[in-house]
Amino acid sequence: MKTISRSWRLRSARLALAALAVVALCAALGGVLAPHDPLAQHPSDMLQGPSLQHPLGTDYLGRDVASRLLAGTGLSVAGALESVGAAMVIGALPGVASAWFGRALEWGALRAADTLMIMPFTVFAIAVVGALGNGMHQAMLALGLLFAPLYFRVTRAAALGLKQAQYVEAAELMGASRRWVLRVHVWGKVLPTVAVTTAQAIGQALLVVSSLTFLGLGVQPPAPTWGGMLASDLGYLAQQPWAPLIPGAAIMITVGALNILADAIRDSTGAGSGTAGAAGAASVSRAAAGTPKSPGSSASQPHAVRTGEVPADVPTA
Amino acid sequence: MQNFPNSPARPAGRLPSPGGPDRRSFLGLSLGAGAALVLSACGGESTESGSGAGGTLKWGWDLPTSWDPVTSSAGWDVHSLSLVYSGLTKLGPGGEAVPGLAESWKYNKEGTSVSFTLRKGLRFSDGSPLTAQEVKKSIERGRDDQKSLIASQLVGFEKVTAPDAHTVTVDLAAPDFQIPTLLAGKTGMVVDPKVFEKDPGSLATEPAGSGPYTLSSYVENSKAVLRRNSGYWDAKHTTVENFELYPRPEASTVVASLKSGQYNVAEIPGSQVKAARAAGLKVQVIPSMVIAVLDVHNKKEPYTDPDVVLALKHAIDREELLKTAAFGYGEVVRQPFPSGYVGHDPELEKLFPYDPAKARKLLAKAGYGEGDELELTLTTQEAEGASELIQAQLKKVGVKAKIETIPEARATQIVYVQRKKGLYLDKFAGRDSATQAFQVLFGKEGLMNPGRTTSPELEKALEVVRRTPLESDDYPRVLREATSAAVRRMPNVFLYTMPRILARNPSVSKIPEFSVVQRFEGVTVS
Repeated sequence: MKTISRSWRLRSARLALAALAVVALCAALGGVLAPHDPLAQHPSDMLQGPSLQHPLGTDYLGRDVASRLLAGTGLSVAGALESVGAAMVIGALPGVASAWFGRALEWGALRAADTLMIMPFTVFAIAVVGALGNGMHQAMLALGLLFAPLYFRVTRAAALGLKQAQYVEAAELMGASRRWVLRVHVWGKVLPTVAVTTAQAIGQALLVVSSLTFLGLGVQPPAPTWGGMLASDLGYLAQQPWAPLIPGAAIMITVGALNILADAIRDSTGAGSGTAGAAGAASVSRAAAGTPKSPGSSASQPHAVRTGEVPADVPTA
Repeated sequence: MQNFPNSPARPAGRLPSPGGPDRRSFLGLSLGAGAALVLSACGGESTESGSGAGGTLKWGWDLPTSWDPVTSSAGWDVHSLSLVYSGLTKLGPGGEAVPGLAESWKYNKEGTSVSFTLRKGLRFSDGSPLTAQEVKKSIERGRDDQKSLIASQLVGFEKVTAPDAHTVTVDLAAPDFQIPTLLAGKTGMVVDPKVFEKDPGSLATEPAGSGPYTLSSYVENSKAVLRRNSGYWDAKHTTVENFELYPRPEASTVVASLKSGQYNVAEIPGSQVKAARAAGLKVQVIPSMVIAVLDVHNKKEPYTDPDVVLALKHAIDREELLKTAAFGYGEVVRQPFPSGYVGHDPELEKLFPYDPAKARKLLAKAGYGEGDELELTLTTQEAEGASELIQAQLKKVGVKAKIETIPEARATQIVYVQRKKGLYLDKFAGRDSATQAFQVLFGKEGLMNPGRTTSPELEKALEVVRRTPLESDDYPRVLREATSAAVRRMPNVFLYTMPRILARNPSVSKIPEFSVVQRFEGVTVS
């Protein structure tokens, strides 16, 4: 919360949050807001242009596009949240733990993270769906597993820095238990980093979810999703050349807003930027205004990953 | 006129709904093997262009499931396999058998034996001689091989003999005048025994036939490159020198691909016709034997109850499907043959009118009334379009249908071999011979008959069809009787015909219109 209120001071953050609020509203209430039943077919009205009754026109079965877009928000966003939630659970805790709980765990966790990082997102999700059945949960858990190293490395980098912080050492000398140190001194400091990573990971996940539904994986028609709508619209370019722009814009605005928000949080907290030498120096002054920065965090960590870096295989279209 | 090649039908259910062949193929690609195809040659109309063949025809169509006609698992493969294989006969434009490798054939009076006389000097594509002995071995492999998917169509071939180098005689267990048409398709393609005796597995990617083309390179799921076979018996009608065959084009990009020259002939869905014409391409809508159909496994609940099956037949609004999913290209049918075909009985079109009230009543009678609605799974290769329409139509009669997609590459295996699905939206590719079509759709071993049930009445009617010469005045009547028995007794829900819509670059001359196998005799590319 503190992080968000600090970010609110930035105009770009306000814009991004406003856009995301609209998306969240649609995701929660899309079905209720929809002017028509998103599944109701009217074949005699198929592929109509925008009109008063159908502000965004109708699709190849005469369904109202505006209603489908609204109703599709929930499924699209829920998928992204599910995968990121899974990634956070799988990645963040081991990330912190690897800095504190011995070399064996550290070595094992690092190798596991290395292995997962070489997997391509979309292809891995397709393979999992092929093996476990075509469902959204299967695909999202697969994605979550691949996003986990991101959290692992980011939290580990932050935790490694904190481990050497003087106040942490002081607490340890005064007999604080490991549990106390992690809860009181470490976790709160790692959170802003996690927030940045999350905002950005949701954006990436949304793109992957849209790619998967574009390919017909995860959510089955007739349930509307942004990716699915985009895919089916491409079959009717002759009739409605503008139609793919609508779900495309929804995806673009949401992902864009999430990335801007991630930037804003990072700018206002310094999270995730202080772990690599050069970048750390640049952001120290900004960070100083926000969170108290642990001096140790500027020590370069070989495994640190800047959250601004996008895994190479995440689709960008 | 009869038609269609043998063996299994095209496995797939994808209707021409424009939405997304690509996505489906993508899924298929991720999970399995691919497919392909092509065509053959034959004396049709058009030019006497002699040997001045040239140009490259790039066909965006499909690749076969295997280049071995005996193990190919899709009826659709006949198009591609016809490019590299030839049979004793082939079909003329009207669907009648015309000479192929055999220049003539003769039945005995009872119809229990037929002798084919081969042309002189026939050779396989590799140059080795093709004599009666090779034909005999090839037919016997189709009948006896453990992996053969055409065996059920050859069970009546009691004995195949080659009394001399140019005569092949088939002795039949029972009279059957359909053999020359049966052998015009995949079932009759002659495979080189030298190859299948030594290494049958190689045939999947390296065909060994005697067709108008030879395969010079093949990349699964990607491309097949073929070259004119100057040793083909009818090479003078093979007027295109180079042939390239591509997997099914994407609906959203097919017109652009035609414009850019990636293809110069391609199959397009109904939704793209307008765009293709606007782009200056020529579009031919060729009537075909392909029919969209719901396969019903009547040994699986709830389809064991005939009232449920009948309710389905009344609950589907075929006109709406045709108009919406196929953009109106085709015609509504309630039988396995399109109108105009000798086996098509116009009277049958009066059966099963769209009647949701009646469907509800039948369902109630079967125990699925208010508050206890029927739930079922509709399996398909393409969730969008026709499947969604059927789901909505079923909802109107109180049936809750869940759509489940399966990849094209595995569809035949899942639906027809393992028979794991109750209701499957598919296309029936049609067959060279009418009885063969019946065998595939309704036979005890019929591949596209997931319940493997049959009806004594139908069996009897087919018996009569087989023993009736095709030239006989009685033939149309007896065939229609069989159609009628099948449509009334069997659970399949036939929906609409699917014409072959080919768009081509104006540099390609008009494509001959064959209803079963698309061939390219006389076509020129300038």
